[in-house]
Amino acid sequence: MSEAAVNPPTDVRGTAADRVIHTWLDYWFAPADPRPLAAVRILTGLLGIALAMSYAGDLVTWFGPSGMIPPEAVDGWRPRVGVSPLDGVTTSAGLQVFFAVLVAALAAITIGFASQIACVVAALLWAALLSRAPMLVGPADDCLAVLLWCLAVGPCGAAWSLDRAIRDRRGLAAALPSPWASTSLGLLRVHATAITLGVLLAQLKGDDWWNGTAAWWLAAAPETPLVDLTGLYRRSEYALNIVTHGIVAFEILFATGLWFDASRQIVCRVGLVAWPVIGLLAGEPLFGFAMATFCVPWTWRPRP
Amino acid sequence: MTVSGRTYGQRMTPPRSSPPRLSDTAKAAASVALAVYLIGLVLSIAGNSVSGSSALMRTIKGRLFSPWMQPAWLDLGFDQPFTYGLPEDADHTLEIRSQGGKPVTMRFPGERTGEQAARWRRLARTIAVAADDDAAPPLTAGVAAGSFADIGSEDVTVRVLRRPLPERAAPDSDARPRQPHAARVRRVAGEIQVIELGGAAKQPEMAPLLREPTRAAPLPVAEEDADE
Repeated sequence: MSEAAVNPPTDVRGTAADRVIHTWLDYWFAPADPRPLAAVRILTGLLGIALAMSYAGDLVTWFGPSGMIPPEAVDGWRPRVGVSPLDGVTTSAGLQVFFAVLVAALAAITIGFASQIACVVAALLWAALLSRAPMLVGPADDCLAVLLWCLAVGPCGAAWSLDRAIRDRRGLAAALPSPWASTSLGLLRVHATAITLGVLLAQLKGDDWWNGTAAWWLAAAPETPLVDLTGLYRRSEYALNIVTHGIVAFEILFATGLWFDASRQIVCRVGLVAWPVIGLLAGEPLFGFAMATFCVPWTWRPRP
Repeated sequence: MTVSGRTYGQRMTPPRSSPPRLSDTAKAAASVALAVYLIGLVLSIAGNSVSGSSALMRTIKGRLFSPWMQPAWLDLGFDQPFTYGLPEDADHTLEIRSQGGKPVTMRFPGERTGEQAARWRRLARTIAVAADDDAAPPLTAGVAAGSFADIGSEDVTVRVLRRPLPERAAPDSDARPRQPHAARVRRVAGEIQVIELGGAAKQPEMAPLLREPTRAAPLPVAEEDADE
């Protein structure tokens, strides 16, 4: 009698374990086309420049030698081990240099020059800037930090980049599907889900997201929304309910649909439109843009 | 055309070969790193929720994950509900006005727009929401002290104004700005003094004296108060 026949349960468990291991390895390390990552890189660079520019005008006002937010004033808002190298930058010139390097790194990401190094540099400097004054940070800032770290893992400059053009000019090997592209794309998918679930869980703790009136409060803040829907909501409670429940329903579908081959492309295509719309309704357009950026890799199937 | 052995007008890229694959050792090392990070990600989301977290989760996250995730700005909860319909969800603005003499007023975000304005509104909201915390006076003092030069006075009033969210069923509801937080901040003998003027529900009270770290000499508080 064979050993397999003697111990069939062990074999079954081994098969299941093998399947889990293969699924894990396939998800994280199967060679993948780097072009979707390149598309994310370009959009992330543009998002980063937009967010960095929102600091530019008030950089010295906030963090300068006589700034409104001195390092000792933010201790209460920092995590226990939160530090910022920017605390040590106490001169206006130093701040400007720091900011110039950050913007240069983001520009390098956009055009794809020394892309992975630029991602690491930008991620470190961005984290330093956000840690300097956590009370100024919005949801799009968090998304940018995540995007930069995810891109730093994979060959995000292997296509549609200056890096690629330089390699072509030198006659070096073309970009091939890479296992690290798979790792990077896998991290993007995990984080897209994590962010959506975080938002969803936070929303479902509030009554207004259950009783269908949350969209009113989004629209009612006079300075926040970029689209005024208060007239529509006053006329029709159903419209208000539809928008509120529609946001929650989309988030549930997005977080789950990302994990099934059959639905991934369609939820990402919907997300490409839905996230910017949610961003506009919530007065956080750059958050909507950032979430749409997470969708990009799965909205099309690149040709070989 | 051929120059130095290269044919121009054609793509000068060698033909594709089979894609590179990772060694088993590299996959194993990367898998461990990914698994550790994913655990950290789950703990970050669970531990940064608005509902708080358990002591066990706080301890594990704080000891093992926060030390490397926080500096990278990856210890994030993504707990962004956008709104709960609370007064704190309304728009907040910051107003700094000089005391005495010709009044000079600075308003933030003022004419700023977009994300730049949103950052000022977040700062104003933080001051308003944290008004009862120990962390608030240093921030209020910092904001005021940072405006001394521009406003031309070392005695200012810092106010946070909140535009109340109108009720859907009451379009004519009172839309006048509320004042959730106000404080008088002045520099006396080189020391920054914060006097809480209170928001709508608070009585004026004398706040702690904030001493600038570079100065060692204590401020004679009693005399200053007596002058008042």
